[in-house]
Amino acid sequence: MALSTTVSQRKLIKRKAPRGFLKRVFKQRKPHLRLETSSDLLVHLNCLLFVHRLAEESRTNACENKCGIIKKDHVLAAAKKWFHVYNTFTALPFVL
Amino acid sequence: MADSYSLDCEPTTRTLLRRVLDTADPLTPRRPRSARTSAQRALLETPSSKKLRSQTKMTARRRSHKARSIDRLAHIQAGGHLEEQTPRTLLKNILLTAPESSIVLPESVVKPVPAPQVVQTSRRESSRGSLELQLPEVEPSTTLAPGLLAPGRRKQRLRLSVFQQGMDQGLPLSQEPYGNADASSITSSLNLTFATPLQPQSVKRPGLARRPPTRRAVDVGTFLQDMQDTSLALAPPGDSLRTPVTTLPTDTVLEDTQPFSQPLLGRSPSVQHSLPCPSHSGAKDVERAVGHRTWSSGPRLQNSGPGKPAQLMAGKVEEVGALALGFPNTSSNISGEDGVEPLQNGVGEEAEGRMKEGLSMREVEEATGAQGSARAEEPEEHTEVTEAEGSQGAIEAKEPEGSSGDEDTPGRTASPELASSTPEFLRARRLQFPEPAPPPSTAVLTSEPPETLSARLPPRTRIPGPRPRQDPYKTGLNHYAKLFSFYAKMPMEKKSLEMVEKCLDKYFQHLCDDLEVFAAHAGRKTVRPEDLELLMRRQGLVTDQVSLHVLVERHLPLEYRQLLIPCAFSGNSVFPAQ
Repeated sequence: MALSTTVSQRKLIKRKAPRGFLKRVFKQRKPHLRLETSSDLLVHLNCLLFVHRLAEESRTNACENKCGIIKKDHVLAAAKKWFHVYNTFTALPFVL
Repeated sequence: MADSYSLDCEPTTRTLLRRVLDTADPLTPRRPRSARTSAQRALLETPSSKKLRSQTKMTARRRSHKARSIDRLAHIQAGGHLEEQTPRTLLKNILLTAPESSIVLPESVVKPVPAPQVVQTSRRESSRGSLELQLPEVEPSTTLAPGLLAPGRRKQRLRLSVFQQGMDQGLPLSQEPYGNADASSITSSLNLTFATPLQPQSVKRPGLARRPPTRRAVDVGTFLQDMQDTSLALAPPGDSLRTPVTTLPTDTVLEDTQPFSQPLLGRSPSVQHSLPCPSHSGAKDVERAVGHRTWSSGPRLQNSGPGKPAQLMAGKVEEVGALALGFPNTSSNISGEDGVEPLQNGVGEEAEGRMKEGLSMREVEEATGAQGSARAEEPEEHTEVTEAEGSQGAIEAKEPEGSSGDEDTPGRTASPELASSTPEFLRARRLQFPEPAPPPSTAVLTSEPPETLSARLPPRTRIPGPRPRQDPYKTGLNHYAKLFSFYAKMPMEKKSLEMVEKCLDKYFQHLCDDLEVFAAHAGRKTVRPEDLELLMRRQGLVTDQVSLHVLVERHLPLEYRQLLIPCAFSGNSVFPAQ
């Protein structure tokens, strides 16, 4: 509850996609593959949507717990809920 | 009128009152006259002393007037106060009732005079002169009831200076024979706290206005010396402040009490009579102190040979220190020659250094810790002999040795005494100089090489420093974490942000795996937008109602939308091409 541990909601965000970062991440993980042009933008979009879902879910979790602050547990619960969706195809066991 | 009264005649209340009664018209009120006298006093005093002190003195005197008037009802000012009612009758009554040999008689005034010349300060003398000029009748009163005045003054605003003044005036005058030691000791203790107020007092005469800085410098040294002497030589009787010291009486030191209390008294006249003297004497004293310190080490020669107390002290310390001093301090000589200042520092420092030890488990810890510190500092001294810090260190090193040596000899009480003296030292130092931290010799010397190293290193480390902090992956994740905090519309813990980053890390991992599988499934080695669309469809983001383009339009800015959604442009072209 201490002020230092909390982060207030961001009012302003950069809408610019970190394209270089996305490309690098993909290249780092799958060096043998290449991303087609503007695919990184779609990756960015996907990531945006993922974050959005995660945020909303954790927010609902926090509200269910009647907590004014999103806590670590809320995020974790939301992630576990959503990762089975994001992890469908490869079906790797998800362990955080 | 007032001048003639105050200057010419013998200033007794009776004579004053008689003259007043004679000269004054029966109808004129007394007030104007008293006002005039006070004004003249102010006029007389202000030129002579351009300092606030005069004012404080004035106020003090006036207060004293009041106090006295309460006592005697004879004072003019009191008459002025009461004159509204029946001034003349009052005065007459006073004349009638007042004893013939009034307390205000000059004899009492004369009596204190020799005493201050012997014992008291030059400021005292100067104040005397000014007093005689202006307020001859005032002074004896101060001598009269110092005890009465002091408590009354304390409640006033200027109580410190006033109290000090009371000390200067009242104590030595009234209790001169037996109060000398007291006064000196108390003034020395007062020097501690009220050092600044004291100095201006000495600068009564305008010609001596330059004195103060040097005096101040001396005050520190002299005070330290006083403290040392008094503490070492056992507090003289009547020193209620020195109780902790007196708890440890020593046979060996008792001899020294006399010679050490003497310098207190002996030096004070020199300080006070001729103002140029004090700095010199103070310096000498400090040097003596130095002598005590360095005498144990032997080789150093002192200028202040004649100082008996110094030699006695030195002898004593020699006894103490010779036991423990295995190694001669070559640096100590230099330190001794370095000058008064560093030595003073050293004294205080040592005091502090030992204070720390001494406070907690004095005997044992001091023996061990002091030795350790001494040993530790030894090499450093040799490295930096010329520096003042080095000298301090030398002294510091020496002293603990001495104390440890004392403890080696069980019978010695000198070491506990020294230890007990440290607190006073400490107090003195804290009050007097806030300058150097106690461990400068050790800390500075040891820290110097690292400092230089660090001074060199940081540029190297700092240049790469910020870069690793900007770990690109972290920053990318942080970017999305910020997006998370935006979407959450709630305050969140930092831990949860870290958690989000963790999730994003996992997410990217799975995303890459999925894309690889999709591309591999399509027989490609290139991830195309279709793969991502498929992925999003599987994730439930893209449905039959909500196409990918809709999502792009919803969530991405225009620049990116133009890159993603094919649009017809002029020249029969579509971008991006499908």
